[in-house]
Amino acid sequence: MIDPCILIVEEDLLVRTLLAEYLRECGYLVLEASSAGDARTLLEDGSRRIDIVLAEVKSGEPSGFALASWVRTHLPNTQTVLAGTIATAAEKAGDICQEGPTLSKPYDHRLVLDHIQRLLAPRDRNNRA
Amino acid sequence: MIAQFESPIRMIAQPLLRPRTARILVVEDEVLTRAFIAEELRLAGFRVIEADRADDALTYIKAAVEQVDLVFSDIQTPGSLDGLQLAEILRDKYPDIPVILTSGNAPPRHVGIVEAFVPKPYDVTQTIALMSAILAQKSPGEPL
Repeated sequence: MIDPCILIVEEDLLVRTLLAEYLRECGYLVLEASSAGDARTLLEDGSRRIDIVLAEVKSGEPSGFALASWVRTHLPNTQTVLAGTIATAAEKAGDICQEGPTLSKPYDHRLVLDHIQRLLAPRDRNNRA
Repeated sequence: MIAQFESPIRMIAQPLLRPRTARILVVEDEVLTRAFIAEELRLAGFRVIEADRADDALTYIKAAVEQVDLVFSDIQTPGSLDGLQLAEILRDKYPDIPVILTSGNAPPRHVGIVEAFVPKPYDVTQTIALMSAILAQKSPGEPL
């Protein structure tokens, strides 16, 4: 049986990598896109059935909303989950993990969020300076 | 003083630790190409970090999220750094990380600073074998 496939759409490499790793630990096949445009390229490619799209609302042009609308129209069997913040994305990943192919979560999604926030903190400080 | 940091670090880090597997950072802005090589590398047993810009790759390495064992980068990447500039920075600041560059164009003259250059289109099986050989040379005896 083929593992369900998630496409994660997140611009920030640090955030995307950690969320993607978490979902892989949950037993999903995970594709990664840094923009909604790249996500559409992967969705239109059609070489792999994508079951869930987990996208940040603000994922460049087109936006996450526009991507979700496109998915609804063109791929009605694909579920779209939009997240407005990193915290929401981690929470949604936790929910997806709960329903995932493995029987239990490898670890709590809040640990992923905590790890992400620790990694982003020095960068945010530098940006403010 | 050290003791007060021990608990939170252990609490956060432990669940994210996994058995040591070589981590390859792939830098490629063409999403289908990147997804394909990343999937093949994962099937071969590697951990893969996917970046579409050399700038992001450098940010990831600087953040020291996890040790990166090898960088496989396209030369033409969007952003302020291209793959060759990334390789030059890594050679100076992170000399332990081997770099393989790839391009659809002829290799630049000073491409000799990296471990290998793979012309596009590349054979995925041969390219993964090359990565494995470079990693084995870097850390003989360690499982990839």
